[in-house]
Amino acid sequence: MIKPKQSGTQAISENVKVSPTLVFFLIHSMQVGIGILGFERYIVKDAGYDAWVSVLIGGVIMHILIWMIYHILEDSDGDLVSVHNDLFGKFLGGLFSIIFSFYYLLLTLTVIRTFVEVVQVWIFPRLNVWVFTFLFLLLAYYFAAGGFRIVTGMCLFSVILGLPILALKFYPIQYAHLENLFPVIDHTLIEILSATKTVTLSYLGIELLLIYYPFIKKPVSSKKWAHHGVFFTTLLYLVTALVSFIYYSEKGIQGVIWPTISLWKIVEFPFVERFEYVGIALWVYVILPNICLALWAASRVPRRVFHFRQRWVLILYFIILYIASGLLKDREMIDTLNDWTGKIGFYVLLYIPILFIIQKAMKKARKRHA
Amino acid sequence: MLKWWKNKKGVPKDPRVQQNASIHSLIETLKQSKDFTSDHLTGPTDCIVSYIKTIIEPKFLHKSILPVLKSQQLKDLEEIKDHVPVNNIKITDDLEEIRIRIMQGDIMIRMKETDDRALLIPATTVETRKVSIPEVEFSVVGPKEAFVESLDTNINLLRKRLTLPQLTIREVMIGKLTKTRVAVISIEGIANKENLNTVLQRLNAIEYDQIIDSSFLTQMMSDNSNSPFPQFLDTERPDRVTEVLVEGKIAIIVDGSPHALTCPTTIVEFFSASDDYFLPWHLASAFRLIRLFAVIFSVLSTSLYVAVLTHHQEMIPEDMMATIVSSRADIPFPPIMEVLVLELTIELLREAGARLPTKVGQTIGIVGGIVIGTAAVEAGLTSNVLLIITALAALASFTTPVYQIGNTIRLIRFPFLLSAQFWGLVGISMCMSFFIGHLIRLQSIGRPFFAPLYPLRFRDLKDAFIRLPFSLQSKRPMQTRADDSTRFNPNRVQEKRDIDD
Repeated sequence: MIKPKQSGTQAISENVKVSPTLVFFLIHSMQVGIGILGFERYIVKDAGYDAWVSVLIGGVIMHILIWMIYHILEDSDGDLVSVHNDLFGKFLGGLFSIIFSFYYLLLTLTVIRTFVEVVQVWIFPRLNVWVFTFLFLLLAYYFAAGGFRIVTGMCLFSVILGLPILALKFYPIQYAHLENLFPVIDHTLIEILSATKTVTLSYLGIELLLIYYPFIKKPVSSKKWAHHGVFFTTLLYLVTALVSFIYYSEKGIQGVIWPTISLWKIVEFPFVERFEYVGIALWVYVILPNICLALWAASRVPRRVFHFRQRWVLILYFIILYIASGLLKDREMIDTLNDWTGKIGFYVLLYIPILFIIQKAMKKARKRHA
Repeated sequence: MLKWWKNKKGVPKDPRVQQNASIHSLIETLKQSKDFTSDHLTGPTDCIVSYIKTIIEPKFLHKSILPVLKSQQLKDLEEIKDHVPVNNIKITDDLEEIRIRIMQGDIMIRMKETDDRALLIPATTVETRKVSIPEVEFSVVGPKEAFVESLDTNINLLRKRLTLPQLTIREVMIGKLTKTRVAVISIEGIANKENLNTVLQRLNAIEYDQIIDSSFLTQMMSDNSNSPFPQFLDTERPDRVTEVLVEGKIAIIVDGSPHALTCPTTIVEFFSASDDYFLPWHLASAFRLIRLFAVIFSVLSTSLYVAVLTHHQEMIPEDMMATIVSSRADIPFPPIMEVLVLELTIELLREAGARLPTKVGQTIGIVGGIVIGTAAVEAGLTSNVLLIITALAALASFTTPVYQIGNTIRLIRFPFLLSAQFWGLVGISMCMSFFIGHLIRLQSIGRPFFAPLYPLRFRDLKDAFIRLPFSLQSKRPMQTRADDSTRFNPNRVQEKRDIDD
């Protein structure tokens, strides 16, 4: 067994790196996933139909976080593991990094299990979860084992194949009740902010940049694309939320678990009915990069910390995911899982500014000493 | 992968040398064949002329060599060499060279039976087919010449189109027994050096006893030989090879094969026909899109049928329901069985048609298409709707301009069918993602096979799914990493005259 080369950006050869433009797709496709199918219901709980403001605020926060992540990574010129090692030493830093690895694994689990749930509810009520997750994970393994370049490719195709679905928003707009949105902003700031907290689960995904940063060619020029990606996500969420708001009444939306999927039901073509089947089938492409990228990042961290073979870590994680998603049986458990992931994700995002401040402080202190 | 484990076995370095230790034993070996002739001339010149009479040109021997030897007394090989009016004569005592050249059709002259030194005069004659019209990649307009089985003729077809001193032809001999000549053709100064080195390196690494056709090389040199997708483009049209050479690609021609290989290639290249460049750009683009749609239809239509009828009957609109129900009412099989039976029948017809002489093949096609099809529907084995879909899918798969990718499309339908049977539309999506992943992973001599889609290259997209006018194609494709990437200076072209100038 040959140990992979030690840390540092130098170890990553040029032919596995991706061009800065692709960061747009990496960021965007990782953010859009299972959340967009049903986030409207959750945010409405807190802020009513003013929740679209929360979506905007969430987007702005993401821009700030992207800015911070780039600052953190540019200063250390490595990835999260090298930042952690730099700031907290090998032992404590390694521990923090491993926590991140587990977090990414949790993200993968949430996405895959929720998607299987969607398939179960909407298409195959008697789906054999064990067999289905096994094959789905095998597919994800095939991508993740191909390396970062392959995962990025899937992100690109996911965005391209997912775009036509956006055109379907046209159908509900035909039955729109614009007055649903008025009066604008009759909720307190607290209510809107707490909806913002809920909406962060849908915005999760930018923190993976911490891991794949060294794989970007000319990372400085990728900044712009990362921001474009976040902007596009925000726009997408805003449109999705607004369309759902003007179609459903504020009370009605509370009873719909997946408003977006339910909206596909009203799509009409002369040659096909029940369009949500097509929508969910196409959603495979949207989900897959989520799983692949998170799985890849999760298995990358132990390689960087312990210098394990990434392939073995990937297989180990594969088994963990397989068993865990098989054991999660009913709707409540999946809901709890989503809740927890949202909460943990929120703290992970909260951790980014902390890391940013610590790093800046350390840098200043070191400069003074030197 | 073949080259790897072949190399590990302790194959003796060059078994040819060990076969015959001397010129004498070489002649002994050759004498076992009836067509080997060794004449001792006792005329004015006392020498031995040996040759294999089936591959030399007898006229040449009688008119150019024997008169010289018989008219005057020549004492040694040098003197003969000076008098025979032929180019490329060689005097050598290198056994290896003597063997190769005799087998290729040289006439050997020695002064005495025991001599090791020999004079070699090239006198080869090779039987070849006449250059004829392309049959696999036929086109209505444009050049109608196709490669033949002779390497030299094929190079001639290229040279006359590209009268450039930079057109370089490197030759390698491959195949332990067949010693097939393989030419690697590129344009110096345009073709990327790294690509050229990769090709040469891979060719030299091949260890096998026979190279009968260029398709052997496709399989042996592929980056991933387990993939159903061909990673070298295989063409029989010299004009197409010329085109890609100018783009900076590399062509490989095998002696004895009427197909040239070109690389690095991409998936979209397999869907572009030579016709696309002979038609105006908008027409060409439209036809390309039709072809692309046909391919997608061919791969997905039957599996969509299975998915919808097995799992998602709700998706069928009310008006269409009656048609489908009435056509499927008597059929005793589930959709997947129905589809498999019909698909296999069509594959059967294709195989039968391909193996039979043209006229019989046509008859089989008609018999199969009309008689079996109608009979199957009337007997209640398949539905009308499916018959139409399958026939269209088969028809659509013939629209691919390159024969090889047509085979791939035939094959990859079946995984889609199976996944549709398991999980309906979701299964099809999963299968599709697998193939996308596979295509992203594939490489053609180290260059991405799925370009210009991934990595996304806008410059190359100008000549991918659509073909933009020549005036916009001022650069060679990025895929080839051409050393000189500029085709022409766009500024000069775009200088527009004013009205009434």
